[in-house]
Amino acid sequence: MATASETSVVPTHNESATKWWTRFLDPSERTLAVLLLAPAALLLALIIVYPVCRLVWTSFQNLSLTSGVPAEFAGLENYRLMLDDPVFWETTWNTVLITLITVPGALFVGLAMALMANLPFKTKWPVRLSLLIPWALPLSFAGLIFAWFFHSEYGVVNDVLRRLGFEGVIWFNSANWAFAAICLTIIWKTSSFMALIILAGLQTIPRSLYEAAEVDGAGRMRQFFEITLPLLKPAIVVALIFRTITALQTFDIPFTMTRGGPGTSTATLAMYIHQNTVDFLDLGYGSALAVVMFALSMCVTAVYLRMIRAKG
Amino acid sequence: MNAEAPTQHSFLSGTPLRILVGLILVVNGMFPALWILFTSLKTEAELTAKPITWLPHAPTIANYLRAFTDQPLLLFLFNSFMVAILSTALTLFISVLAAYALARLQLRARDLILSAIIAVSTFPLVTLLVPLFEIMRALNLLNTWVALILPYTVLSLPVCTLILVSFFEGIPRDLENSAMIDGCTRIGALFKVVVPLSAPGVFTAGILAFVNAWDEFLLALSFNSNPMLRTLPVGITLYQGEFAFPWPVISAALVVGIVPVAVLIVIFQERVVSGLTSGGIKG
Repeated sequence: MATASETSVVPTHNESATKWWTRFLDPSERTLAVLLLAPAALLLALIIVYPVCRLVWTSFQNLSLTSGVPAEFAGLENYRLMLDDPVFWETTWNTVLITLITVPGALFVGLAMALMANLPFKTKWPVRLSLLIPWALPLSFAGLIFAWFFHSEYGVVNDVLRRLGFEGVIWFNSANWAFAAICLTIIWKTSSFMALIILAGLQTIPRSLYEAAEVDGAGRMRQFFEITLPLLKPAIVVALIFRTITALQTFDIPFTMTRGGPGTSTATLAMYIHQNTVDFLDLGYGSALAVVMFALSMCVTAVYLRMIRAKG
Repeated sequence: MNAEAPTQHSFLSGTPLRILVGLILVVNGMFPALWILFTSLKTEAELTAKPITWLPHAPTIANYLRAFTDQPLLLFLFNSFMVAILSTALTLFISVLAAYALARLQLRARDLILSAIIAVSTFPLVTLLVPLFEIMRALNLLNTWVALILPYTVLSLPVCTLILVSFFEGIPRDLENSAMIDGCTRIGALFKVVVPLSAPGVFTAGILAFVNAWDEFLLALSFNSNPMLRTLPVGITLYQGEFAFPWPVISAALVVGIVPVAVLIVIFQERVVSGLTSGGIKG
């Protein structure tokens, strides 16, 4: 530790350097680093590291707070139950389907929005604000607002459909329509975040590249596919990782729009975890479900990391 | 969506087309919030009229009065506000310290710690619902603000730390050194020189942390079952009408909940954009 303080740029104090409180206020570089990082480390230990260990442990336990029976080791019992549980399969499938629909959906809509927002508007704030508002809106608010949009009697969606001469749809009575409404809402809510990230990427592409392509006679489509898209790739990959991981955790929007209904046809894995934990107080089973979700999101991270590395 | 929209500025730069494109973006972004505002200003009779009206014919604030009297909306607002402010303060304090260590001190494990921070930012907090529920229960923290403040702090810690590291790295070391020659301790120099000079970064990080906390739903729903401790999103979602879902009241409550974040976004829009696009982000 003495060597660390010698290499630091801190000027040495001549007077009272030996007093303990001075040393505490002006410690060696390494001690200081430990002190500064300690609060973050402690918090992460309490809220992430310890809970992860506890999660895996609890998933092998028979732990239901309603039964009053003390926790006992149950081996793979929870996981075996899960395989025979049709609701587990349904909610997992719904989660995967939501991810497969809304992530590419948000990417395409977001890309289109970013390209549109990149035009040279004279006043920039209305467009910037229109991209920020959907991002800042709580997911649960978006769910409630769109539930009102899709209201079968008084919703604006059915109103527009009727004005266009179609029949109104009773969105939340049918599994498929309810699912479609949820996916549309998620895409609306998340595409503006995609657009912001992609827009930032677009603005780093030097204009000169396009001018050079123009000289070489490359058309706009070719410029888009050979300059814009490849240079946007890093921004898109980052946005996709975050979006996919949050899509796997989808809870707020289906909860506020349908509560998982009709039946459990629009319930997600996160909703099933919540139900088992908070409503049924079956912590063992809830943990086993969470381990599955954890594994799913680890797979996503791994796939993306490999993609980044493979294509450099 | 226009498949041919190019990134360079010659095409589509004709003013009417550009206005149209701008209008599409503005309508897409603003319409839902505007629609809920219109809804909140309509009378119950107008809301259930067919065909539905778009603009309110006889604007009324009755729904707002009911929103505050039917349910403890003010209390929900207060809970949300306190949880968001306190977790933002805690996040900023912890991430200022950590970011300073990462930006300024010679750390052998620096890269490892940075990767760990990025890993935490992609961590699915939902999966920890059960163990966090157990921990909060064991610590007797269920139905308190603290049960939410601690996880929310973790939620925003990675982004805030990354933003602050990049800001701190841009502050010349000389300024800090001269403060220390003037008798400041290193910690003193951090809070008297580095943090004030990084004010834009601290602000950006703070806004992101605030919005993250303001928006969170699942943990707030799970940990605080006491209606008096509900945050705004939970309180509004669990509003119970006498028969159907009380849309007039809900829409007014939603507007009340949107306003604080909207004000923040309007004032600090450029900061927020730079913060969102610089560090790792949560969607």
